[in-house]
Amino acid sequence: QLVSALHNLTRHVVYRGLTRAEDILALFPENFHQNLKNLLTKIILENISAWRNEAQTSQISLPRLVDMDWRVDIKTSSDSISRMAVPTCLLQLKIQEDVALCGNGPVVSALTVELSKETLDTMLEGLGRIRDQLSAVANK
Amino acid sequence: VSAQQFSALTEVLFRFLTEPKEVERFLTQLSDFATVNKISLGPLKNIVKSILLVPNGALKRNLSSEQVRADFIALGLSEEKASYFAEQWKANSPTLTRLAVGQTLMINQLIDMEWKFGVTAGSSELEKVGSIFLQLKLVVKKGSQVENVYVELTLPQFYSFLHEMERVKTSLESFS
Repeated sequence: QLVSALHNLTRHVVYRGLTRAEDILALFPENFHQNLKNLLTKIILENISAWRNEAQTSQISLPRLVDMDWRVDIKTSSDSISRMAVPTCLLQLKIQEDVALCGNGPVVSALTVELSKETLDTMLEGLGRIRDQLSAVANK
Repeated sequence: VSAQQFSALTEVLFRFLTEPKEVERFLTQLSDFATVNKISLGPLKNIVKSILLVPNGALKRNLSSEQVRADFIALGLSEEKASYFAEQWKANSPTLTRLAVGQTLMINQLIDMEWKFGVTAGSSELEKVGSIFLQLKLVVKKGSQVENVYVELTLPQFYSFLHEMERVKTSLESFS
């Protein structure tokens, strides 16, 4: 019962985003032991940002990018043409499925994609536009 | 076959080679050619087939126009016509090479990318959040099928992704 009550208390604090001691103190009932109240508040305050971060990382989301690697190859020959020197990029994205669905065993899949120079240029254009949009939003 | 007819035929052939998808148009032009010049279509088709083998083989082995001309003479074509064909070959080879390279195997080719970003307003655990997320949809061609991949990135991840892609571009450019 005690653990459950404590759990509810901490969840409530995290949910509401309470950051000031007064707000947390106000949650306790009136005749609560003074020192215990202060001690609990102190501990909660210390942990609150860690708890908030964890809640954010474990919230539902689309699959998340966890890592990326790339390499550049030069294609020198193929069945349709025997000599060429075409550079191409291989991009590997490590994607983790929704954390909330996997519990303790997150499923990470690797997707390898090939990009020609044209595709890469178009992609960079798109990424540049995202960056511009982001800074426009940030400057508002 | 007169020189004029030969150059008209060559033109039809090269137009087909540079646009291999226009099969119907090629066949129509061939039968037009046959009717205009009073040649029967069957033998013409056979001749065209053997002529087409030469440029395809030339591409595979990266032959120069000299070698193409020599090949044609070996096949029994007059010197004049062989030179004409070799000239046409030289003029068209950048396009043809580009087409051949384009047909080269690509693994999981990225065809398209869409994105949206927004702000997470709240969740079941946090009443007010206010964090920015970026969602990317990558359209990937796997064999003959197209697959959509959805990925979410945080802002720092996005910036390092952009940085890495710019490094890739520099690397690709130094090799072109």
